[in-house]
Amino acid sequence: MKDKVIEIKNLTKSYGKKRGVDHISLSVEKGDIFGFLGPNGAGKSTTIRSMLGLIRFQEGEIRLLQMDTVKQQTEILKQVGYMPSEAMFYPSMKVKEVIRFAAKARNMDCTKEAEKLCGILEVDGEKKIEELSLGNRKKVSIVCAMQHKPEILILDEPTSGLDPLMQEAFFQLIMEYNKQGCTCFLSSHVLSEVKSYCKNAAIIKEGKIIKKDTVSNLSQSNMRKIFVRANGQEKEFSYTGDMKELIHKLDGMEVEDVLIREPSLEEIFMHYYEQSKENNQEGSETKH
Amino acid sequence: MAILKHELKMNIKLLFIWMICVGASCLGCILLFNGLKESMEEMALAYAQMGTFSTALGLDKMNVSTMEGFYATEVAIIFAIGGAMFAAMAGVMVLSKEEEGHTAEFLYTLPLGRFVIVFWKYLSVAVQIFLFNFGCICLCLSGFAIAGEMPPGRELLLFHGAQFLMHLEVGSVCFLISACCKRKQTGAALGFAVLLYVADLMCRIVPDIENLKYVTPYYFSNAADIFVKESVDGTMLWLAVWVIVLATGLAAVIYQKRDLS
Repeated sequence: MKDKVIEIKNLTKSYGKKRGVDHISLSVEKGDIFGFLGPNGAGKSTTIRSMLGLIRFQEGEIRLLQMDTVKQQTEILKQVGYMPSEAMFYPSMKVKEVIRFAAKARNMDCTKEAEKLCGILEVDGEKKIEELSLGNRKKVSIVCAMQHKPEILILDEPTSGLDPLMQEAFFQLIMEYNKQGCTCFLSSHVLSEVKSYCKNAAIIKEGKIIKKDTVSNLSQSNMRKIFVRANGQEKEFSYTGDMKELIHKLDGMEVEDVLIREPSLEEIFMHYYEQSKENNQEGSETKH
Repeated sequence: MAILKHELKMNIKLLFIWMICVGASCLGCILLFNGLKESMEEMALAYAQMGTFSTALGLDKMNVSTMEGFYATEVAIIFAIGGAMFAAMAGVMVLSKEEEGHTAEFLYTLPLGRFVIVFWKYLSVAVQIFLFNFGCICLCLSGFAIAGEMPPGRELLLFHGAQFLMHLEVGSVCFLISACCKRKQTGAALGFAVLLYVADLMCRIVPDIENLKYVTPYYFSNAADIFVKESVDGTMLWLAVWVIVLATGLAAVIYQKRDLS
């Protein structure tokens, strides 16, 4: 069994009365590219910020590279590259100054790697940060996160603001670093990129993990999308269960056309969301 | 060290603007002295008989028609308030600007540790205050050289030493405010610096609120008192040092435990 480089146990964080995350647990193995899926406000950033020691959590434990994030934060950060969703730097600084500052703070000479990354991502070091668009700031953020060749890359919605060509170049870099042993924790709400690049994934909803599995298992759900045209009417719905029963039900109808297909990851994602909603409603009804 | 250099580089413009504005105002006043000297002699008599107003400004102790008196009662006020305002601004911005500018995520995910960052940031405030004081003193000294008159060196040194401590105290309290806020409270900090000056004036006029002298650092660093007594109140100095240590320590503790946005 591979080493677990990220271990989150029972993490609970609330902001006063507001929910953050509620008793979430997950682990990521070395060399994995782990997708962390959820819509805005689900708790993705709270989890990441807890992992990096930016916020203090009320309950639970987080270990990165077998080190405690509360007690050994500095040691952990030496081996972590982080790319925030909002890439913000000091506006009056030049791009090359920001990159050099990030390397200096690590007591490292990352010139060679930084130059390579700047070349691939077409980053102009002479420009001032205040002159850059969100996409270009994101590129600077990628260079700062990767130039020291970290053990873990934590990426919070990394592709927002990047054009499709740069997204492709970015994921090529991720794959290259991953081949060299780097573990990636990728938070996103773009399901296609999770499906294309991640090996494992977790879905978070309203501060709780509702599903954890390999991306291929998540995609191979027994749910099917059914399209039926009967009695001049068209209907599309999701179906999970015995196929014989479905055929039996359709038998009684005047079916003109039927299409049964595998759902996309987006549809599976929505399915888990709706399932979790139904479970919650049932739970609250039982309580009453 | 990287943080210190970074902070100084980021604030060098602001430091120079304030240093030139306050220092040049002091220099201008010193250069005006020779031209005003004759009329000052008449004014000195009038000032000395203005009761509580004279007491508040130290005009009852110093002769405004001498360079020493003029410097202690006129120029020193510009230097004290200007410096306190700069110190307040430098202190109040240094931590909260990271959250307001959304750069906290970048800075605090570098492997430096929050305590280390807070330490270097505080040091950068102290260095800026020192450079401000140094620059202004240089301008004042050049003014004395041009005017051909200079207040006694020992008292001048004591006054500027006390002023540096006073500015550092104001800066430290504002540093504590900065550790508690997500946004730069520049207006509040400038108001705070002025309020402390008003408190100094008030406690010199109204005997019932005399204890305010322990609250406002303008009291122990008052030029007229220092030039007359030729010393600085030791108790007040220790109190200032305690306030600095306490404010900085509290800021570090609070900032260590705070969630950064």
